[in-house]
Amino acid sequence: MSPVTEEPILSVRNLKKHYPITEGILSRQVGAAKAVDGISFDIAEGETLGLVGESGCGKSTAASSIIRLEEATEGEVIFNGGGRAGRSREGDGAHPNDVTTFDDEELKSFRRDAQMIFQDPSSSLDPRMTVGSSVAELLLVHGMTDKQRRREIVEDLLERVGLEADYYDRYPHEFSGGQKQRIALARALVLNPEFIVADEPVSALDVSIRAEILSLLNDIQEEFGLSMLFISHDMSVVREVCDRVAVMYLGEIVEIGDTDEVFRNPQHPYTEALLSAIPRPDPSAEQENIELKGTVPSPTNPPSGCKFHTRCHMVIQSDEFDLEQERWRSLLTFRDRVRSGEVDPESIREALAFEADDLSAVDDETIKDELRTEFELAEELSDPEAESILQDALDALAEGRMEDANDHLSTFTTPCEEQVPEETDHGNGHISACLRNKPETEHGAPLADD
Amino acid sequence: MATDRQSFDEIDWAQIDEETEREISPNFIIVAVGTALMGLVWAFDYFFVTGTYDAAIGMDFGNQYTPTFQFIGWGYDVTQLDWLFAFSLLLFGAYMILPLYQNPRMTKYYWRDMKRNRPAMASLGWLLFIFVIGVIGPAVIKAPTVDLMTKYQPPMFLEINNIYPINCAGDVVGGACQGSLEHPLGTTGDGKDIFRIIVYGMQISMKIGFIATLFVVTIGSIVGTVAAYAGGLVDEVLMRWVDIQQSFPTFILYLLILYIYGASLFLFIVLFSLFSWEGTARYVRSNALAKTEEEYIKAVQLSGASTYRVIRSHIMPNSASSIVTDITLLIPSFILFEAQFAFLGLGDSTIPSWGVLIAQGRSDLAFAPWITLIPGLFLFFTILAFNFLGDALLDALNPEADAEAEK
Repeated sequence: MSPVTEEPILSVRNLKKHYPITEGILSRQVGAAKAVDGISFDIAEGETLGLVGESGCGKSTAASSIIRLEEATEGEVIFNGGGRAGRSREGDGAHPNDVTTFDDEELKSFRRDAQMIFQDPSSSLDPRMTVGSSVAELLLVHGMTDKQRRREIVEDLLERVGLEADYYDRYPHEFSGGQKQRIALARALVLNPEFIVADEPVSALDVSIRAEILSLLNDIQEEFGLSMLFISHDMSVVREVCDRVAVMYLGEIVEIGDTDEVFRNPQHPYTEALLSAIPRPDPSAEQENIELKGTVPSPTNPPSGCKFHTRCHMVIQSDEFDLEQERWRSLLTFRDRVRSGEVDPESIREALAFEADDLSAVDDETIKDELRTEFELAEELSDPEAESILQDALDALAEGRMEDANDHLSTFTTPCEEQVPEETDHGNGHISACLRNKPETEHGAPLADD
Repeated sequence: MATDRQSFDEIDWAQIDEETEREISPNFIIVAVGTALMGLVWAFDYFFVTGTYDAAIGMDFGNQYTPTFQFIGWGYDVTQLDWLFAFSLLLFGAYMILPLYQNPRMTKYYWRDMKRNRPAMASLGWLLFIFVIGVIGPAVIKAPTVDLMTKYQPPMFLEINNIYPINCAGDVVGGACQGSLEHPLGTTGDGKDIFRIIVYGMQISMKIGFIATLFVVTIGSIVGTVAAYAGGLVDEVLMRWVDIQQSFPTFILYLLILYIYGASLFLFIVLFSLFSWEGTARYVRSNALAKTEEEYIKAVQLSGASTYRVIRSHIMPNSASSIVTDITLLIPSFILFEAQFAFLGLGDSTIPSWGVLIAQGRSDLAFAPWITLIPGLFLFFTILAFNFLGDALLDALNPEADAEAEK
């Protein structure tokens, strides 16, 4: 089900959303949280694009910028639905269908063509309004003053989403989570949109209800030919629902492609890690479980180069060394932690002395061993040159010379932190952004056999 | 689906596009018509009754007794406070009582919760009693008047040494004057009937409650929502103004005005309610800010609704319950304030309020304690009732909290 129409219904180009960080009375801007930092993708008519990533990676911000619940900082969101198809750019390069530049009137008519389903059904319905009026309100807002007609339409719609017409006069607290999500779906549908953003529509629901809602979503999408942006952190749900999938990390899309293709043949280590986290029903199947250590770095101060290099299990080694991949990862993590001042040998010494009841019993060797164990650095690195640098760094650390330790460890560098990966096209719209995938790369083999 | 009903995918939006989104609610019509009618009567009172009276005596003394409805033989003088009271009752009816009827399911839901709370139900009954008697009573019962011949009459079932009353209305048994039906709650030292003062006092308490609420809720909500929605400098200025006003000594201002212009209930109510909306404004602001983060508000914004609609149909109704609770705790403090000022002799001593009555009985405590006790009990129970009711409303008006607890 790959896109075949020439003009996608939605095309996002280099979309950015930065939240300014201000300081002082005068609100001087001192930085920005780059929640979404230049994403681009297309959604074809009738297609579902999945947007996946960990919490905090900017998926929801991307959604609200696309649907213009928040104003984007930069970039274009070109929406060709709702009879806007076929328009071309004007002389100054501005596109008439760019949602981010819509004026009030255009925006209001855009609201009829694009709607959203929210994550938490219990907070997405006004608790003091009957669910019927909540749904019918959209009709009223768009000018349908005939009360009876509104009611008929909404009652019909409630039945279509698997509820009963006389639920119209009930309040949200009278419904279960699954029912509320059906009502939320009815609200998103009532204006007959062409495009729906579903922001984690099933993650707040019980597993037993998820399948029902997902299949309802599927049926409705087919019946009305909806296009959808489906946001989720759950890869197994994405596999069920989406035609294509885009993987987001720290405000950027690291891999995008047909769902089957991406799941079968992931090209970015991050995708690989996410996929390895899907539980499989076959206990005998060998499964490599890739554990991503640490949390998503802060978008206010993202890592240089490839933003994933601080956590990547496949991080590229520099040419000077030849270590096992696992050790190399540990070494870089150790370097970063020392650099940020999170490693404190004195506190290790105290902790050990407390156990041994004697401060003098803890010599430098013990501390070095402790550090090696903690950071999984092995007793001795297989590369003698790397081992001697690490030894120097550990000595310096044990003696409290943090600066020196830092200097020693700075010898370990990776191309990943220096170069920003470019997009590699694997064919058929499958694109990833990883240094390993560059054909001319000298940094070891690509991630997977292509 | 083979139905003859309207379906959402058959709407021709091109046809509907031009119509307006505003709908005039019946509540608004009631308020508008009611206000217009009141305006007419007020104009009549101002230009034909009070105006001709002033013209006749050649100057405006203010506060003169000018019976508004003399032409139908009803000698009630409608004062500024009455107009305000009527207006606040109109708003109360249209935006508090009528919605209860319009949303029967929600009403039933609250009612079920409220019913379980016995003290709250008793309080509600008591306040309804005070309200009904207070509104209707003064129109039917004559105002208490000074009559030294009937001074110090005891209430029913009590007695007083016959040396105090000049003319005992009941039986005199063994040198003690017995209470009688003529003055069921007794009389004061200048012969005013306590029962009548209590009834008139109910109206005064209700006036204080309703008018103060009108001011506090109106100003508080407007300032609060404007601050929350405008943000930036407007927010900063408004909230700093709230800070300043909160630290302003209203009592001293009241004393100052009192010494220049003399005390009046109107002055008290207007001054104190104009200086008490800060808490509500602050509350409404924080509530509005919190609510804008809710997904249902985002959903409404996504529907293309105007900011006015978001505030009016979603933020306000969802803040209302908390404002109501806030107010039920604010009203008793006003009533208590009035009583305290009256007791200290800083209020308008000519009005028949409970506080004035309590102050009057001060010197007669030794032999006629009921003069102070009766209004004191009324005051006590009314304030207690407001507090109980406020507590119960806090519990009942919060379906979200309930839903959270059930999870």
